[in-house]
Amino acid sequence: MLSQNSTSRTLPDLAALRHLWRAGELGDASQRSVDTGYSSLNQVLPGGGWPQGALIELLQPQPGLDEWGLLAPALAARQAGAPRQLMVLVGAPYLPFGPALGARQLDMRRLLAVRAQGPALLWAVVEALQCADVGSVLAWLPQARSANLRRLQIAAHAHDKLLFVFRPLGARQESSPAPLRLLLESTTGEAGNLAVHVLKRRGPPLTLPVVLATRPARLTALLAASGERVRRQREDAASDFSLPSSLPRSLVHALDRAASLHPH
Amino acid sequence: MRWIALQACIRTDAGMPAVNDAAAQRALAGIALGFTPRVALVDEAVLMEVAGSLRLFGGLSRLALQLEQLANQFFESNQAPAHIARAQGATSLIALGRLRQLRRQPDAASRRVADLPMHTLSAAGPHLGVLERLGCRSWDDLLRLPRDGVARRFGAPLLEALDRARGHVPDSYEWLVLPEHFDEKLELDALVVHAPALMAGAQWLLLALQAWLLGRQSGLCACKLVWHLDQRQGVPPSGELVVRTAQPAQDLRHVARLIAEQLAQQRLPAPVHSLSLQSLETEQLADSAAATASLLMQARQQGDSAVELIERLSARLGPAQVQAWQAHADHRPEAMQRWVAALGAIKSIAGSVRPERAQGLNDAKIDDLYPSWLLPEPLKLAVVGDSPVYQGRLVRLAGPQRLEATGWLMAGDSGGACGKPPAIRDYFICRGVHADLLWIYSERLPVSAPQAPQGQTRAWYLHGFFA
Repeated sequence: MLSQNSTSRTLPDLAALRHLWRAGELGDASQRSVDTGYSSLNQVLPGGGWPQGALIELLQPQPGLDEWGLLAPALAARQAGAPRQLMVLVGAPYLPFGPALGARQLDMRRLLAVRAQGPALLWAVVEALQCADVGSVLAWLPQARSANLRRLQIAAHAHDKLLFVFRPLGARQESSPAPLRLLLESTTGEAGNLAVHVLKRRGPPLTLPVVLATRPARLTALLAASGERVRRQREDAASDFSLPSSLPRSLVHALDRAASLHPH
Repeated sequence: MRWIALQACIRTDAGMPAVNDAAAQRALAGIALGFTPRVALVDEAVLMEVAGSLRLFGGLSRLALQLEQLANQFFESNQAPAHIARAQGATSLIALGRLRQLRRQPDAASRRVADLPMHTLSAAGPHLGVLERLGCRSWDDLLRLPRDGVARRFGAPLLEALDRARGHVPDSYEWLVLPEHFDEKLELDALVVHAPALMAGAQWLLLALQAWLLGRQSGLCACKLVWHLDQRQGVPPSGELVVRTAQPAQDLRHVARLIAEQLAQQRLPAPVHSLSLQSLETEQLADSAAATASLLMQARQQGDSAVELIERLSARLGPAQVQAWQAHADHRPEAMQRWVAALGAIKSIAGSVRPERAQGLNDAKIDDLYPSWLLPEPLKLAVVGDSPVYQGRLVRLAGPQRLEATGWLMAGDSGGACGKPPAIRDYFICRGVHADLLWIYSERLPVSAPQAPQGQTRAWYLHGFFA
């Protein structure tokens, strides 16, 4: 009885507090965030974008799968806003290919690639975060532990940098200091080629993944056209088998095409 | 004539001071040289004549304030917080006398010149006891004595000093001139075996170097640290390392970190007994005379610059590990870009980015049908049946796109270097087991190649990923 009274008295006060976050809501927009370039992804992220000054942890089956498609719009917008700032890649799995990234509006000349092993990787990330001329840091840390990540989170927070850390799927079971953890999975569906599972965010858990189409439009069109051609060839081949096999191949093809054209 | 007397008193309460008094005095003189060319080291103090600089710095009080701030920052940034005592006067001896009085009785600063006690005059030092018994306690008391008697009893130097203090005799010194090149040696207190431990000694030398730079109003571009080894058989007498920075620096914290990184990688063949530091290249910093306070050692809120980052990363990881991108006009994908050591391209990275220039430079070939990751070396794929596999079966989605990796460009370039004959490639886009897109090619040797195999299946290579 007493407790009921007390809650009814205190609840309106709680509702009036602006800094109160209820677990059922998304985190507030008090921290700065960077537009991801994908509206469906913006909607599920607290603050409506990549949080700046926080560690963003991205888990993927193997490095080199979906990094640029997901991050390029945000990174390009950030570079356009501050053209002097560097983008630093630490421990990138392969060589970033300039012609393709240039097509994604990234300025390759403001990109620095750092190769290192073991503890030097973490050191390089922290150094990059401390640099005033660095806008964003992308790091591939397959062997980082939770304590290491906490250092990175503190550094990213202290210097207000955009920090993405890529880790293998095995890290999913480990605890992580990152306020935002995503799992990336390539898909082959119609809706898009990348499914983003939100593992952890300042907000309620999200059960369904967000599916994004991250490939350039021309590539998608090329794949669609090729797929169409393959499908048609397969149909042709299928009709091939129904015809007598003694006929010359080219003749069959020509006949078949003529037959398929006739009804129209 | 306006004179300022300065003395730095290192606070010893915070553990071992990083500098001794003599080093502090010379450092202070270096800083003072940034304000006026007329600086002299007299006894324990630094005397500077500032009449010619007053207008540039906006008056005596402003100059003194700036000087004090700069000196405080200097000692604080070198982990040797110091109290800077400062006094001024119409002649050098008055300024010095006031400084000495200030050090002894901090509250009695603004007394008349005539009331300055006898001990503040250096020339009176040997006769203090006699003067005391005579009843001469202040300069005034001494002036009242008959001149010839004083000269007979105490000698000419005391009278001359009194005349200089009163301005009756020209007041000049051997002005301090900094050497053209900095080269100082430091005997270490103990033999040092581990290279990183040399850093403590290097810090001393760097402090002196920084004061020298301040005095010469220049920035450091390159310096050399030499360590002299204990004499042993088969061991060279000394070792050295050279540190260069892209931007001339007066604030040597960055240089110190670079030296520390390089020392960490050194192995000493024998114990080190002394260190020396030389400046190799310096650059005059324009406009640092009047703007010394704002130019230097201002607390940088955000952090280091890009140049410092690149230099530091390269120092520890090796120059080849820190890379920047360069476009290259070529039609072969692997030759369209080059990843070069960022240390060599540091000027273009640090340089200002002008939009119109950026447009012009950025017309390197761009195409979104290229993969965003490229393998440094094409990876030869295993073949099952007639189709390549990578971690599993590949589904061919698009292609072929033919590319002739041949022609006159190949002749001296990669054709000779790799020892591979020119070849024709058919590129395909495939889907891998993780539903990712792979860029693979099949290579066919040209008909003209002598070792063109008959009936051999084509070689498949993985060349990139569409990420």
